[in-house]
Amino acid sequence: MEFVLHLAPHLLNGLSLGFLFALIALGFMLIIGVMELINLAHGSLFALGAYVAMVVIAPGASWWGPLGKWYVAQPLTLRYVLALVVAPVILAFVGMLLEICLRRTYGKDPLYGLLFTFGAAMVIEELIRIVWGSAEKFLQVPQAINGAFLVGGLIYSKYRFFAAASALLLILLVWLFLERTPYGAMIKAGAHDSEMVRALGINLKRLRLCVFGFGTALAAMAGIIIAPIWGLRPHVGVDAVIPAFLIIVLGGVGSFWGAVLAGVLVGLAVALTAVYVSEWSLLSMYLLLIAVVTFRARGLFGKKSILEV
Amino acid sequence: MAPQPSISEGLVTRPMVILFAVLLSLPLWIEAVGLYQYLGIEIAVWMIYALGFNLLLGYTGLPSFGHGAYFGVGAYAFGLVQLRLIESLWLGLAAGILAAMAAGALVAGLISHRRGIYYALMTIACAQVFWFVAVKWHSVTGGEDGLLNVARPALSFGILSASLRGNTALYYLAVAILGLTVVGLWRFVHSRFGKALQAIKQNEMRAGFVGYNVWLYKFLVFTLSAGIAGLAGSLFAMAQKSAYPDVMSLHSAGLVVMMTLIGGGFVSFWGPVVGTAVFFLARDLLGAFTETWLLWYGLMFMGIVLFKPEGVVGAWQDLVRRRRTAGATKETGSLSHHRG
Amino acid sequence: MAARHMSRRSFLQKVGLGAAGAGVAFYGPWKHNHVYAAKADKPLLIGLTTDASGQYGNSGEMERRGMLMAIAEFNKKGGVLGRQIETIHIDTETTPATGTRVAERMITRHEAAFLMGAVSSGVANAISLVAQRYGVIYLNSNSSSPTESGKDCHRVKFVWDGNGTNFGKATVLNAINAVGKNWVLFTNDYVWGHETSKSVRALVTQYGGKIVEEMVIPVGTRDFSSYLLKLQQIKPDVVNTAVGGDDIKALRAQVGQLGMGNKPAWVQNQQDWPDVYGLPLSGVFGIFGTTWYYKLDLPGVKEFVAQYQKMYPGVSIKVPGNVYYNGYMAARELLRAVERAGSTNNIKVIKELENLKVPAKDRMQHFDAYMNPATHQMQQTIYLATANDEAAWKKDNDDLFKVLAWSKPQDAEDTDAPKACKLEPYEATPSYEM
Repeated sequence: MEFVLHLAPHLLNGLSLGFLFALIALGFMLIIGVMELINLAHGSLFALGAYVAMVVIAPGASWWGPLGKWYVAQPLTLRYVLALVVAPVILAFVGMLLEICLRRTYGKDPLYGLLFTFGAAMVIEELIRIVWGSAEKFLQVPQAINGAFLVGGLIYSKYRFFAAASALLLILLVWLFLERTPYGAMIKAGAHDSEMVRALGINLKRLRLCVFGFGTALAAMAGIIIAPIWGLRPHVGVDAVIPAFLIIVLGGVGSFWGAVLAGVLVGLAVALTAVYVSEWSLLSMYLLLIAVVTFRARGLFGKKSILEV
Repeated sequence: MAPQPSISEGLVTRPMVILFAVLLSLPLWIEAVGLYQYLGIEIAVWMIYALGFNLLLGYTGLPSFGHGAYFGVGAYAFGLVQLRLIESLWLGLAAGILAAMAAGALVAGLISHRRGIYYALMTIACAQVFWFVAVKWHSVTGGEDGLLNVARPALSFGILSASLRGNTALYYLAVAILGLTVVGLWRFVHSRFGKALQAIKQNEMRAGFVGYNVWLYKFLVFTLSAGIAGLAGSLFAMAQKSAYPDVMSLHSAGLVVMMTLIGGGFVSFWGPVVGTAVFFLARDLLGAFTETWLLWYGLMFMGIVLFKPEGVVGAWQDLVRRRRTAGATKETGSLSHHRG
Repeated sequence: MAARHMSRRSFLQKVGLGAAGAGVAFYGPWKHNHVYAAKADKPLLIGLTTDASGQYGNSGEMERRGMLMAIAEFNKKGGVLGRQIETIHIDTETTPATGTRVAERMITRHEAAFLMGAVSSGVANAISLVAQRYGVIYLNSNSSSPTESGKDCHRVKFVWDGNGTNFGKATVLNAINAVGKNWVLFTNDYVWGHETSKSVRALVTQYGGKIVEEMVIPVGTRDFSSYLLKLQQIKPDVVNTAVGGDDIKALRAQVGQLGMGNKPAWVQNQQDWPDVYGLPLSGVFGIFGTTWYYKLDLPGVKEFVAQYQKMYPGVSIKVPGNVYYNGYMAARELLRAVERAGSTNNIKVIKELENLKVPAKDRMQHFDAYMNPATHQMQQTIYLATANDEAAWKKDNDDLFKVLAWSKPQDAEDTDAPKACKLEPYEATPSYEM
């Protein structure tokens, strides 16, 4: 019993981390499903979303003049909520722009799409570095979700709790969207059989564009939520894209709940190994990925997919 | 029956001679153009690295996004030999090559049955593991601070011995090794093994049906490519007199992919060489004017992937061919056929 | 189409030429000592190897400003030895490999006369290897791993910051007596963190304490929740943190948020000013060491601060701290040493610096400072500080520290360093003069 009590806070920690990971992976997965494309720029878009949100919350530039002064004087909560809405929308446009560029590579060897998004990832990271510098930046959060609270004599961070809850909420919303709306049905159909979708008269081009935008917006939201925990620097994108990959593969391509379950598993693995062998905890993620791909490449719930071509 | 394009199959070709004329004379003019000798060593080392890498990407169509791991393993092996065992150039280089080949073989064993995106993903994951170990295994690798004070052992052939402490001397050693690598790889890609690799790149399944042991070929070429990366890494450790984990990072591994592709690795043996030169000149010439040069380089890479995946050498070949067959029908480039 | 074949004769000719060229390269006479004619009107170029990005980007910027201030002062007086001083700065990105490349470039391409700047000990070490090879004097202005003046010392390198052992000596005994014997170590996973924790461990054991656990914190950690949770479960008396740069800033913010700043007692080995500036008072918990504070009640301090504010009006850090101070002092003392030596010949300047003594008033510290010729580290006053009282802080949000005590450099001296440090002999150091 003592052992469980001792482990409980770390399990909770791992669970919350897991939901965050699952959120990162979600946008990634939608794109793979419908576009049959691995978007290596997912991590950089994740970072860019957080940076844009930072600007929406605190524009900083004095050239906004009196309008800027009035804006910054507004309550932080208002600006934070605005950022949560505006930044993903902006990023969705960026994502759609990427998709338009990618169209040249459809039909060719998927290697080209991979290389292109790889280049895009580096370019976006460099852009972030040029515009905002390499120094650590801070994303302000409203006081209401900042600070600590006590549970059972141990201190927990309010923000982490909020972040995990938001992630869970977003996951549920996305699931509802996919399952209960006609648009979601189109996306699922497109993932399953794009030829048939086109034959049924649905504009595949537009579908792909929207899915890419949607996936990117999800990445941005994940970035905004996670930035206060992971910190905000240009390189944070790489820390996001590798776990996303792992979770997709672990959960199985095309399986929604597989991705969520895999995210939770990865979060638990990282948090628990942090207790016993703290320095090597991140390594557990990579070893897990290698093991899964070697032995069970379809992951937990996966179906045969583009990845196996 | 169209005439076959002329591919020189001799031991030494004209492009080789031009390349080595430029490289051997470099110390004479490098400072006059506002650069410095150390840069020459870097360029030579990365040419070796990129040439080995292109065996995978350009010739076999295998995307290895984590090749920096073997470069790094080679550097660490060389450094460890100098620091812990004995100051010896040949032993150090051998250790670098063998350690990198061992690492490469380990990874290749795990991934050679895959291809495409899973393959790329696995190379990244394995490279991250190596990077992680390099950063964490403080007692052996020195962690993030690196392995320091690696000596530059003297070049000795029995009784004759020359010091490599000066940058120019080390540069000539690097160029000599580059020369051997170039000649060796040239023979290799024109051998039956090389042709088999190109067949695998065109269509893996068909190559298997025709009777090639695809898994074995992929395994061997990966291991060989890793070994060459290890050789380059050892030379680099000598140049820096230290070994650091950051060559194993995703960022650094990505650079060699970009270099090779931009140069034209998909269609030409010389692609990686041209690409390396372009990268380093961009870094030091453009980088002197603007801090944003990597951004432009990345954008150029994206543009080339979209519009001209044959790269610089591919564009040059098109130009030459168009001039030569002026008036005749235009041939469309084919990325699956390697020319010299 | 005739195959473009190389005939055997021409092939052999070309190989022969190449071999001859290589032979000259390997066996020719190579000069190791560079002596250039130093014209009196040729400007003196100083290479600033400070970080502008990465974990120590903020501190790198501050120390660069300090150096530029000292150089500007000299240029106003007519430069050094009648030559104007110019600088070149290349970002070392808090990455040792970049440091090596930058040093090579500055020396061989730009012919820098001196190199200065470092916050990360890993970078400092890498740069000094290159500098020693050419004989270029290198000032390690701000990196404080005990090994910099120990096993990684070099004839051309001079260290201007207090190191982990100096601060440890000032902080450990106090903390054991005042708080308790059970200690936990937070160690940033690179050379400064490891070496500092090693020396703190030795000191704690020496004074009768016990290290219950050491937690290694990877560089770039932002999320300290699992470490803090573990800390709550272990319940030690004292936590000693050898964590720097952006990491300590994040740790302070999180501990402050969680209200954990008072229990357990926190000891930060050395607290750099840029890493704490801008935090709310709750983030400045614990006690920590430093080499200087802008509100010290000593002559010259107010003017020094005013000068900083005049030269750098728009910067986010409104008052200078120890990092800026160390950069300034290092540059100033080097230029003074060059003046006294009467030349930029490296051996002459090294000999001047090895015997350096600076009176307390000139240092704006409480005690005289002096260079230890056996380790090439500047010995100086070590200050112990903690968070200021709330009332005082409300009056001036920049006034974060309350200085508790100051130790004589002799009391805080690293007595193990001279044994570990083996400086290269003068004869083995190439002579260099720009």
